[in-house]
Amino acid sequence: MFTHIIGRTREAEARNPSLFPHARQQGRVLARALAAILSTLLPVAACGRIVKDQTGRSVDVPDHPRRLVSLAPNITEIVYALGLGDELVGDTDYCDFPPQAKNKPHIGTMVNPSLERIVALRPDLALGTPEANRRETADQLERLGIPLYGVTASTLAGTLASIEDLGRILGRAAEAKNLVAEMQARIDQVEKRIEGQPKPKVLFVVWYRPLITVGPRTFIADVIRAAGGIPIGESLKGEWPRLTLEELLPQNPDVILLPKTESFSPSTEEFQSLPGWKDLRAVKERRMYFVSEAIERVGPRLVDALEELAGVLHTTQFINMEKRQ
Amino acid sequence: MTFPATPRNVMVVVAVMSVLLALTVMVSLTLGAVHLPWSEVWGALASPGTNSEAAVIVREIRLPRILLAILVGAALSVAGTGLQALLRNPLADPYVLGISSGAAVGAIFALWIGGRIAAASPLAAFVGAVITMVWVYLLGRHGGRLASYTLILAGVITASFLSAVILFMLTLLSTRDVRGIAFWLMGDLSVAPVTELRILAPAIILAIAGLYVFAKDLNVLLLGAEEAAHLGVNVVRVELGVYILASLLTGFAVSASGAIGYLGLLVPHLGRMLVGNDHRMLLPTAALGGAILLVLSDTLARTAVAPAELPVGAVTAVAGAPVFIYLLRKTAG
Repeated sequence: MFTHIIGRTREAEARNPSLFPHARQQGRVLARALAAILSTLLPVAACGRIVKDQTGRSVDVPDHPRRLVSLAPNITEIVYALGLGDELVGDTDYCDFPPQAKNKPHIGTMVNPSLERIVALRPDLALGTPEANRRETADQLERLGIPLYGVTASTLAGTLASIEDLGRILGRAAEAKNLVAEMQARIDQVEKRIEGQPKPKVLFVVWYRPLITVGPRTFIADVIRAAGGIPIGESLKGEWPRLTLEELLPQNPDVILLPKTESFSPSTEEFQSLPGWKDLRAVKERRMYFVSEAIERVGPRLVDALEELAGVLHTTQFINMEKRQ
Repeated sequence: MTFPATPRNVMVVVAVMSVLLALTVMVSLTLGAVHLPWSEVWGALASPGTNSEAAVIVREIRLPRILLAILVGAALSVAGTGLQALLRNPLADPYVLGISSGAAVGAIFALWIGGRIAAASPLAAFVGAVITMVWVYLLGRHGGRLASYTLILAGVITASFLSAVILFMLTLLSTRDVRGIAFWLMGDLSVAPVTELRILAPAIILAIAGLYVFAKDLNVLLLGAEEAAHLGVNVVRVELGVYILASLLTGFAVSASGAIGYLGLLVPHLGRMLVGNDHRMLLPTAALGGAILLVLSDTLARTAVAPAELPVGAVTAVAGAPVFIYLLRKTAG
């Protein structure tokens, strides 16, 4: 089984930032062999408790995780928000927030990361989510003796719970509590402001040819509800269901939301020229908005997305939103 | 360029190809998303007691994956060689007969009902392959004998029907299951199943050895079934034996690595160009050549966009199609 080398200090790493600094230093070979032997002899005292993660897996979580690898962008955001940016030793190619996350060593994509990169980073805990990662990756990490703690959330409340859970696991329970309290306060504030407002029917466009929207039990639908909207497609099944125009037309959304990404930026004119679409109320009244990609990250910024959405759905109430952004 | 398939010549070809395979494996071991100098790789292999990251990467990630690539590459190539001779059709390969689609249906079905039991999926894939193989065989039989064109048509039709079944099942699965199955459908060695290697290795080696027993009969069969029967070959026995062994090889390969295309089609052609039509020579050449090609393809899959990885089936398809077209033009002209 893969055990971690004992006795490698942070200072040593600062001097040797490459992944295998000792490879070219013959003098270190002996010390390394010794460490390897020691690590097999010593009972794994540093490793602490077996806990069940949010996906139901039993994970051997160290008491004080010091070398974290994140397997998903939203988890990277949570790790940074808990003040553990320095402990993060690796993240995915898609981890772009906060900007420092882009400079961490990358382990590949969420669905097909490089196992050897992960091993080389010597993590004492990997963090993942079934929303982004493959079960096969989890199985492989287990085989390699790298504990993987999984979180999962499909609502705003679940997101807060995930953050608190990660805080407990990572020894930052107090920070997590503060962060969650602050997020909850902002959620409450939005709730208060939208009270009594008319609830517009909202179509969230994941893709438009064919039209794919969000299922009722996804976090995006939950954010839309919390922002005072009614997501179209309450009766749809699955997470990212297809929606035909026939189903869409009678529901006639008041507002259409589109995620703002580099690869996805159709113009309003394009929608107005699509057959059927030009008759939708939202298209006629030009209530089509691009929302920031924060709405796709189940992390601290989901509350930013919530405030942004509340502003878009209740423009009179949140007239100052544009300036704040 | 053909050599007579004397035992000595066969030994020479096997020896040369084995050395090439060994070289390929050594190169592949040193390449990956993490840069490891040759000394580290050698150290990890030479001293099994160490537990450094380099040792884990070499022994527990790269080596099992390379071994799986060797086994799957050999299995698909030998299956393709056997089927092309059996059906006297240069387009025959394990996928044309629908066996891989059957395996895919099995794997997805396991996900659908079993959910979390990941280990069930290779087994279900194998069961799917075997059921499809029996079904296509029954369809392709004519008067107690295999009818080449009927069998291929039965395979093609079954494959396209099963593809439709796969698409139907995929729309009903949750997004996270589809994500895993998508890699599997493209062919993927990244989840080299270490425990399954212990079962796969003897199974594939035995099946290849079993097919080799038919090597001489396959040579005679190339003349045509009637002629072979006149020359004293028990055609029914040969057809059944080769068909079952080729299907089993495909089932083993697909259940471990998903649907890796083009290898079973391409390698027999390359092998015939190298050593000619004698199956005593061609079968071992195809086995080792297929192993080399898949190890190379997977090395590319691991390193081309590192640290991200490509599914190896995408590599074999992208590289395989042009090579096949080139061969086609060359032999035609």
